[in-house]
Amino acid sequence: MPRYGMVIDLKRCYGCYACSMACKTANHTPPGVFWARVLMGEVGTYPNAVRQALPVLCMQCEEPSCMEVCPTGATQKRDDGIVIVDKEKCMGCKYCIMACPYGARYSVEEWESYFPDGLPLTPLEEFQKKAWEEKSGVGVATKCDFCLDRITNGKEPACVEACPAKARIFGDLDDPNSEVSILIKKERGQVLNPEFGNKPKVYYLLPR
Amino acid sequence: MDPKVNGQLQREWGWLIATYLFLGGVGGGAYTIAAINSFLGESLELSTTVGLWIAFPALLVGTLFLIADLGSPSRAVLAGMKPRTSWIARGTWIITIFMILSFLHLILHQFTTVGEAAGGATAINIIAVGGIVFAIGTMAYTGILLGASKGIPFWRTGVVPVVFVISAVVTGHFAIMLGVTLLSNTADTLVPLRTMALEAAGLVILEVLAILFFLQAAFRQPDPRESAERILRKRMFVIGYFVLGLAVPLILMIVVYRSAPDAAAAGMFPAITIGALLGLLGGLILRQAVLICGALPTLNMAGFEFRRIHRPKEPKPDIGMLPPQ
Amino acid sequence: MAVTPQIPVEEDVWIPTSCGQCYCMCGIKARRQNGVITEVMGNPDAPTGRGHICVKGLAAPQLLYDPYRVNYPLKRTNPEKGLGVDPKFVRISWDEALDIVVGKLKECHERDPRGAFFQATTTQASEIRFGVIGFMKGFGTPNYWVSGGGLHCGNGAHFMNGSMHVAWSIIPDFAHCNYALNFGCSKGHGAGHVAVQNATQVADARARGFENVVFDPFQSAQASKAHEWVPIRVGTDGALALGLVNSLLNEHGIYDAEYLMYKTNAPYLIRPSDGRYMRDGDTNKPLVWDLVDNCPKVHNDPSVTRVEYEDVAHEVALRGTYNVNGTECRPAFELLKEHVKKYTPEYVEKITYVPAATVSRIAKEFGEAAEIGSTVTIETSKGPKKIPKRPVATHFFRGSQGHTNSGWTCLSIDMVNHIVGAADTYGSSMGLGAAVCSGYEGTGKPYQIPYPCPDGLLVAGAWVYDHKPYPMRVPKPPTRLDLHDMFPTSIYNAFTITDPRWFEMLERFDIPYRPDVMINFGSNSVMTMGNSETVTENFLKKFNFIFSFQLYITEFEEAVADIVFPDTCFLERYTPAVSFPSTFSHPQGEDDWGWTIRQPVVEPLFERRDFNEVMVDICKRMGIHGNFYKGLNDSIGVRYGGEMNEKYKLVENGSVFHSWEDITDRLLKDRFGDDHGLEDVRKKGVFTWPKKKEDVYWKWFNPSRVPIYFEYFIDSGEQIDKLWNEYGGKDFFDFDWSRFKALADWYPCPTHTEKNPEYDMHTFYWRAVMHCNSMTQQNPYLDECGQEDPNVYAVQMHVDTAKKKGIADGDKVWLENPQGHRVRGWVSLSEGIEPSHLAIAAVAGHWGKFMPIAKGKGTFFNDLVEMDLGHTDPLTFNQDICARVKIYKAEE
Repeated sequence: MPRYGMVIDLKRCYGCYACSMACKTANHTPPGVFWARVLMGEVGTYPNAVRQALPVLCMQCEEPSCMEVCPTGATQKRDDGIVIVDKEKCMGCKYCIMACPYGARYSVEEWESYFPDGLPLTPLEEFQKKAWEEKSGVGVATKCDFCLDRITNGKEPACVEACPAKARIFGDLDDPNSEVSILIKKERGQVLNPEFGNKPKVYYLLPR
Repeated sequence: MDPKVNGQLQREWGWLIATYLFLGGVGGGAYTIAAINSFLGESLELSTTVGLWIAFPALLVGTLFLIADLGSPSRAVLAGMKPRTSWIARGTWIITIFMILSFLHLILHQFTTVGEAAGGATAINIIAVGGIVFAIGTMAYTGILLGASKGIPFWRTGVVPVVFVISAVVTGHFAIMLGVTLLSNTADTLVPLRTMALEAAGLVILEVLAILFFLQAAFRQPDPRESAERILRKRMFVIGYFVLGLAVPLILMIVVYRSAPDAAAAGMFPAITIGALLGLLGGLILRQAVLICGALPTLNMAGFEFRRIHRPKEPKPDIGMLPPQ
Repeated sequence: MAVTPQIPVEEDVWIPTSCGQCYCMCGIKARRQNGVITEVMGNPDAPTGRGHICVKGLAAPQLLYDPYRVNYPLKRTNPEKGLGVDPKFVRISWDEALDIVVGKLKECHERDPRGAFFQATTTQASEIRFGVIGFMKGFGTPNYWVSGGGLHCGNGAHFMNGSMHVAWSIIPDFAHCNYALNFGCSKGHGAGHVAVQNATQVADARARGFENVVFDPFQSAQASKAHEWVPIRVGTDGALALGLVNSLLNEHGIYDAEYLMYKTNAPYLIRPSDGRYMRDGDTNKPLVWDLVDNCPKVHNDPSVTRVEYEDVAHEVALRGTYNVNGTECRPAFELLKEHVKKYTPEYVEKITYVPAATVSRIAKEFGEAAEIGSTVTIETSKGPKKIPKRPVATHFFRGSQGHTNSGWTCLSIDMVNHIVGAADTYGSSMGLGAAVCSGYEGTGKPYQIPYPCPDGLLVAGAWVYDHKPYPMRVPKPPTRLDLHDMFPTSIYNAFTITDPRWFEMLERFDIPYRPDVMINFGSNSVMTMGNSETVTENFLKKFNFIFSFQLYITEFEEAVADIVFPDTCFLERYTPAVSFPSTFSHPQGEDDWGWTIRQPVVEPLFERRDFNEVMVDICKRMGIHGNFYKGLNDSIGVRYGGEMNEKYKLVENGSVFHSWEDITDRLLKDRFGDDHGLEDVRKKGVFTWPKKKEDVYWKWFNPSRVPIYFEYFIDSGEQIDKLWNEYGGKDFFDFDWSRFKALADWYPCPTHTEKNPEYDMHTFYWRAVMHCNSMTQQNPYLDECGQEDPNVYAVQMHVDTAKKKGIADGDKVWLENPQGHRVRGWVSLSEGIEPSHLAIAAVAGHWGKFMPIAKGKGTFFNDLVEMDLGHTDPLTFNQDICARVKIYKAEE
């Protein structure tokens, strides 16, 4: 059984938001919901100031604090390490959202249109609403699941496939010969804020 | 499009949860006081009755607020599935047991003569002891729920449960005073009420100390500091809670306590009513303010700080004009 | 809302086609599920993107289904035109709309067909080469512009890159380059220019240690990823480049003599009297001085010529003074070396704000990284060949060239490459686009091999326009509405048509006709050019009738359009050629050639019709569709690398009505043989064939030279000056034609010479990745994405400057230029910007009520752009796209 993880190479990433958008279109997330997000940081003073983008997504933690606080058992960790929400069990208390220090979770009461209220849904939106409700349900917590439906069909997560800079690499952390394992070892991959103690499975390679 | 605001605020928990936490606190506080009073004896009979009549309904209504906030309310029955790790599950059990105990206590106290029967008092006392344990549990739970939230640094401190427990007792106390005042505004009642006013003043002072401690602790770390600064910029918090919810009740309670027992007794009742109401309102505002100032932590990587851009949920654009169809 | 045809249930297919969200036009595949396009991803078969895709392409399904799309023909019922006027559009039938348009065009044709003016968007770069060109040729009008494109970017860059690299743009050979200097461009970092593939290439390069020094006033995406960010004052890149040339030549003594001798006109002898080439009396060819035989030789004498690197030839003089028939001549190189001496590091520092020591250091680093003298052996179609390895490059685009010194800035920046021999060879600066191509082996097409002119200088084998960038056109009495024929370098210009005295000017220059009917394809020129009021009042309102093919009712349609046609978007149409010709749509590098096409992934929704199809329909109704096809046949040769075979030529006598499917099929079969028509190519959306290494690193396989001394500018300048004065052009503008000269210089922009100290801030715009080269602001996905970045909708300002002015983060402000035009915005404070600059992203600040998602977002920078002579480069007619402003807090 693989243990899935991701490497995000900040040397390569230049903050183009393709991951964010690929995720949005592959998962049909409604307004305000970014399972894959890009944060912008700036450090230093002029002329030595520098900016850096940081793509974030669900870290698929080994010790997910969201799962710990879930009162109903809806949040589960699969054998392959992917943390999922059972849409039939989640009661929508949103406590997991307060428990995730990475801000990876979103509560969606109802799938909403991007367009002004009062317009009928477009054919695309009708499709999206249906697809969303089938996959993520209504009134429950939602999050990135490494594009479970895509990876079970042998594809990479949408954010990985789209990335123009090839800054995202997806693979099996337990396989010492996988690209992710090699990169983490060779370039000393780091997790985001290890002090949270969640043991994320998304690793970052430093920008310079 | 609003200008940027750094640090994404949590937007999921608002008034419904604040009210739930508040009513849980009021219920727990009122019950605790009522139950203690019932041990202490006859003279506080009314306050026991009032306290019991407040506790159970407050919990019941509070729970309805929680359910109203759920994305899938029909699955509320699943709430207690994982008490081993989840504070919501634990809280569900604590509140449920507490509701049963407070309900039993109320029924036995109010509608039976069990209390007068031999051994009956003991039974009630046993329920009361259990009730007090679970009442304290409930009060503490409302704070621990936030204190255990890893994603919100502002909440994630042991001080929050302490503040919430003190506030719960204060609001429970005020609730009882309010009930007593409304039910019986005779000079007789004024005597115990003056004692209660003194107790209230003491509790409020304790709450002031606790909240100051909470804020100064928050100011020591960057992320909580930003939330603390934000809460102190909120008029709702500074005026609504600090001035109207704490200072004014405190002054009123001291005035009530220091008033001559006979002189202008009538004037004391409005003072108590207003003080207690404001105190209650303050408790609600406290919880709401703490909730809406909670924000996600700053992420760090490679020497950069990454803070999410807070985007207030924009109202959708006007429908504008559609091209002629 | 009804959707046209219902497709069988449970359909789930991926259809390969080409993106159309910007001019990069990457290969994509669109997912159709039960008739609805639900997703767009990259097409791994297409060299453009190789399966990756950018944020704009991904967001495309929203464009297809946006409820604010125009779905039916519309007619303006309010005769009043102007900004903020309610057009009172009503829906009409296609027949009625076409009748009106054809009627107006017929009237125009009777008056003078040249009164028709085509305005197009660069976003649909592949479409405009069909419907626009076919119509212009068929109808008989020369009047055309792509609003914004060219004037903001390109009149300078494309012309100069075309002359120096036979390409639309230049870029480092990312696969092998080690050190690059980036002058205000985002190549490889999101915006524009084969965006996706370049991003992959530059990321690969970074991962192996490639160093990019970025000159930019702010921490752009590329600056943030740079090895070194050097803040620079806007519009001064040319001065910096000349400083680097000086530092290389006169401080460090670094230059590639071999390259300069055999691949440039550096050894051409210049006579002192008039700066012209010293020419051979018999052949009239320029002369060089053979140092072995110690005598003058014509430039292409075999003894002094090296086509391939391993060819042997005599050395020729780059320095010294030589007597040719009694005239003391000096090689061009010597003149250049002397000329740039004034660009000392200290002088450059004053202009650019780049410290003198940095200029000197970077020149040294660049020179050393060039590894002059090093070679590499590559496997060509004729066996292994040795070529120079020069792993350094300068590159530039909009930021550095959008100024009144555009032409010379482009040439100066590129000259840094040529000094060290880093051009179109291994690791160096390369032409970008499908520049040099020896064609698919089965047909030899597209054949785009450059060749030398009689003077030995590089001439493009194929070009995007009928006229190639070199040899330059000879100025002629004007026939076009923008007097374009007089000016040898530009593609079009704005200073004439947006001038309040435009008609007076037409009178003076003997133009017998006036603007009559405007056809707009996809452009929102009210916002993309410059100050909206200037454009609307002085230019757009001068047309009697305007019809527009558009996706939305933009500010342009609101203000001036009489008829709006509901255009299809790129997901609903055929385009026969996308990655060709040489623009921003074909990657550089050793990967395969790829000819991408566009095919509909859904039938057009509602009553939308494809622009190209409607243009043919209009021509048919006018009876000129044969001419339309002839126009296409005629234009294919120069643009797509070779004339069409008779067999595939479109029928010109009007007896046949070609569908766009048919045209696509014919063009494909003509280029790639009968087996590779539409039926075959549509399966993958692209036809690929291997690229020869000598097509990639073509410099040392081609007998041409490039100029470092622009002798031919002198003639051009004299010719224009004469013609201009004959017409009394001086009464309108006192142009500085002396900029047509042989050696590069830097000239200040109005931004640099503003005297009023109140206007103390330089402001410029930058291209945000989700809002560039496209119409993206109404796309709700992209709009939301823009809000994720703290700077995209903001005015970026330095923390200290803001403090001095009492402005806080998030404050609402006005920016006002010296002409009194002002725009509103809100401030985002940063340390990552030169303290006297303000940075604004994109063409934002929409106000149109038919685009509610776009409305009110960001700041409308272009309103600060003045469109007059003072803000125009006399050499290329590029506009000045920076402004001096004062900034002050806005009332709430």
